[in-house]
Amino acid sequence: MAVPNRISSPRFAGSIVLAARQFPRHRAAMIGLVCLVLICLISALAPYVAPYDPIQIKLSAKLKPPSFEHWMGTDHFGRDVLSRLLWGGRTSLGVGLLVVGFAFVLGVPLGLISGYFGGKVDNLIMRLVDALLTFPPLLLAVALVGLLGPDIQNVMLALGIVQAPVLARMVRGSTLAVREDLYVMAARALGAGPGRIVLSHLLRNVMSPIVVQLTIVFAAAVVAEASLSFLGFGTQPPNPSWGRDMSEARRFLGDAPWMFMAPTGAIMLCVLSINFMGDGLRDALDPRAWRTRRTVAAGERR
Amino acid sequence: MPLLSVRNLRTRFATDRGVVRAVNGVSFDLEEGEILGLVGESGSGKSVTALSIMRLVPEPPGKVTADSMSLEGTELLKLSEAEVREFRGSRMAMIFQDPMRSLNPVLTIGRQIVEVLHRHQKLEGAAARRRAIELLETVGIPMAEKRLAAYPHQFSGGMRQRVMIAIALSCNPRLLIADEATTALDVTIQAQIIDLVKRLTRDRGTSVIWISHDLGVVAGLCDKVNVMYAGNVVESGPIRELFHRPSHGYTLGLMGSTPRVDGTPMRRLTPIEGVPPNLIDPIKLCPFLPRCRVSVPACQVQPPERRDFGAGHWAACLADLTPGRAP
Amino acid sequence: MWYYLGRRLIQVPLVLIVVSLMTFLITRATPGDPVQIMLGMQTSPEAAAAMRAEFNLDRPLPVQYGLWIAKVATGDLGRSIRLNDTVTSLLAERFPVSLQLALAAMVFALVVSIPLGVIAALRRNSWIDYLCTGYTVVGFAVPNFGLALVLIYVFSIKLDWLPITGIGSSEAAAAGFWSYIKPFMIPAIALGTLQTAMLTRLLRSSMIDVLSQDYMRTARAKGLLPGTIVVVHALKNAMIPFITMVAVQFGYMIGIQVTIEYIFAVPGMGSAVLNAVVNRDFPVIQGFTLVISAFFLFANITADMLYALLDPRIRY
Repeated sequence: MAVPNRISSPRFAGSIVLAARQFPRHRAAMIGLVCLVLICLISALAPYVAPYDPIQIKLSAKLKPPSFEHWMGTDHFGRDVLSRLLWGGRTSLGVGLLVVGFAFVLGVPLGLISGYFGGKVDNLIMRLVDALLTFPPLLLAVALVGLLGPDIQNVMLALGIVQAPVLARMVRGSTLAVREDLYVMAARALGAGPGRIVLSHLLRNVMSPIVVQLTIVFAAAVVAEASLSFLGFGTQPPNPSWGRDMSEARRFLGDAPWMFMAPTGAIMLCVLSINFMGDGLRDALDPRAWRTRRTVAAGERR
Repeated sequence: MPLLSVRNLRTRFATDRGVVRAVNGVSFDLEEGEILGLVGESGSGKSVTALSIMRLVPEPPGKVTADSMSLEGTELLKLSEAEVREFRGSRMAMIFQDPMRSLNPVLTIGRQIVEVLHRHQKLEGAAARRRAIELLETVGIPMAEKRLAAYPHQFSGGMRQRVMIAIALSCNPRLLIADEATTALDVTIQAQIIDLVKRLTRDRGTSVIWISHDLGVVAGLCDKVNVMYAGNVVESGPIRELFHRPSHGYTLGLMGSTPRVDGTPMRRLTPIEGVPPNLIDPIKLCPFLPRCRVSVPACQVQPPERRDFGAGHWAACLADLTPGRAP
Repeated sequence: MWYYLGRRLIQVPLVLIVVSLMTFLITRATPGDPVQIMLGMQTSPEAAAAMRAEFNLDRPLPVQYGLWIAKVATGDLGRSIRLNDTVTSLLAERFPVSLQLALAAMVFALVVSIPLGVIAALRRNSWIDYLCTGYTVVGFAVPNFGLALVLIYVFSIKLDWLPITGIGSSEAAAAGFWSYIKPFMIPAIALGTLQTAMLTRLLRSSMIDVLSQDYMRTARAKGLLPGTIVVVHALKNAMIPFITMVAVQFGYMIGIQVTIEYIFAVPGMGSAVLNAVVNRDFPVIQGFTLVISAFFLFANITADMLYALLDPRIRY
């Protein structure tokens, strides 16, 4: 009986390359990606690109409609809406990305542990996850931020906690499925430590749905940050934030509609781009994910 | 006048890779009370022929044309969609291969029978129920009254097919088409269903088109057989004639590859090598030529001609296959 | 089937206990003293101490939790620190309003999603199908409060067709059905659009799947009328996952409503929790989140049960 001295498993790097080639064929996804990159770039460069200081009050110029000097008009304090939009993007998108990272760091290990060890550990973690998922997400975030204080860190913490459970569940499911293959393999592959196999092999198989879910998390985080700011729990005035600006625009809906239209449009554009990109990712990654797993079992028979 | 008369039926499908000629000039007659077998492998066009007659072919991407296709004198292709709906289920009916998938899982059996009665015979309420019970009893389902409230998944395969037959025959159609109706069933159940169909249709004088790839079934049931290959009928004739004097390379191949209970024990089965042709490219010579074991030099040069052997038996084959010449 | 239901119901208290524990910890472990907020900075230490004792805030945390849970088990959710009322009666005031808003949003979602989903599935790649896809894409992308602002701008300010205040007010109720409904309309559309997008997409893909099944061919072979075929044969199958999603979404909605309640000054559950968070009103936060979570759990269980009821193939 031949004992494989190297367990051949689907190479994640390989699937990335395959996916990368597949992705550009999806036109909407490409547009989404390009849009998103542009938005992120412009927001990141806001300090250099924005025409005006976003918190500089200039009452003489208040509530002016879009014009050549102010492409998106001014708000009730005379601040340039476009500049506030760009700076606000920094906050919203920055928070969004950090939340993605945080949810990843929180959710994936939990899911891995839960799926791999099973039993009581699994039960405990899943009860926790269930409870978190039963909690209405926005209220959970409101409670956390409201009680901890409207710091950016608290916002990220809260949103990360809200998004992590879904990731954890997903990872646990994939882990459970892959674990069966692994025990068989680990029994045969004398020598290779099960821990290392688990980590590298598992992660590779589980990555594809995770990546897609992360785009969903990203979009949700951007919207959630805006919601929190809208309710007064997130970014505090006078700092620019899309949600906050929308809230302040409420009083001037009729007189200065550009005040609410700009941030609303910005959020929509972001979410649309992220969604299109996520669709493309899903199409590019998933079929490969299903195919590569079966080659593992076939590989050891050679 | 024959019950069903088909002349030069052509059914084509537009696909990304070109136009697929699923049915490529099929002609035949079906007399009243006759059971016609339609035999061939997958892709031969037999199912599509049946669907074309029932006008169940989705018109994009499909296109059905014929010089003539008439049921009891009515040109089926000239009917509007609304008019065809009157025919379907009442004058012509069809049963399909997998009865589990062909019955709606969320409707009771009773409902699925009664709706046909209601639609075509205007039966309602208690009268419809009585008739449904009668039908179930006719097809041999015990405790019929209770079964009306049952769902398809609660029946076995054979019972489900009986239900399908009950539904199909409920309005006394003149034509019944059975598309691989017993293929998904156990052999013993197959025999029962075939007997049932034979009995019921003989009693009512219903004509049947029985589609199958199984020669054995066809032999036991049909009066006449059309052998189809690549969208054409390549041989046709009364059942005894065909079995005693197969006269087409394909028919010969089919018989050679069919195990026979009464044949020589330990006889090797000879499968037909190769794969069916691509139905997109137009075929000028005999479509079976690449796989044929009995072809003659002339086959390489000219398309096959129809040769008549009398008693309604003909074959589109250039080779002279005298009896006894088994591959 | 009852065995399964029983098993699911047993899980409910377990999850709720974890939820209550989480809420308790979050509220108690964070800074902010409700008594101080309530009474203000100038109050005497005795008055403050008295109030703390009244609400058990001077006892150790596990004791506080134990006392509270014990009371909950008997149905007593405590008293609000801020408002002079029991949590239960606050619930009785607020829950019906939130429920009505959720209902209104769901009605909107159903009215739009069912025809749109069905027709898009029947006429694939037609203009209706593209409209449907476009609508769902946008519906997923626009945040509900953003949509609310847009709708207010168009329908209330510019066109002056619909009011934006007065949800659930008794004057509106007295003035007749139509004037009661009107203030619900914009909030219902804003709240329900995301649901509509989800449901439309679900129904469309369900229908497409169902329409390709063999039994649809049988239905056509029977010569049935197209209406019968679509409604009785196709829709009945496609509705199963649809209805269960409706149940789940409905349970979810109460939690999502917060921003809408905020914009339209709806005296519902969401705004109550919002205020309670600001005021550190622990009993209200704990009690309300418990009820909202319980509602969501029951909605989920209902969804599972519905699935079993509607699909005759599933019998536990």
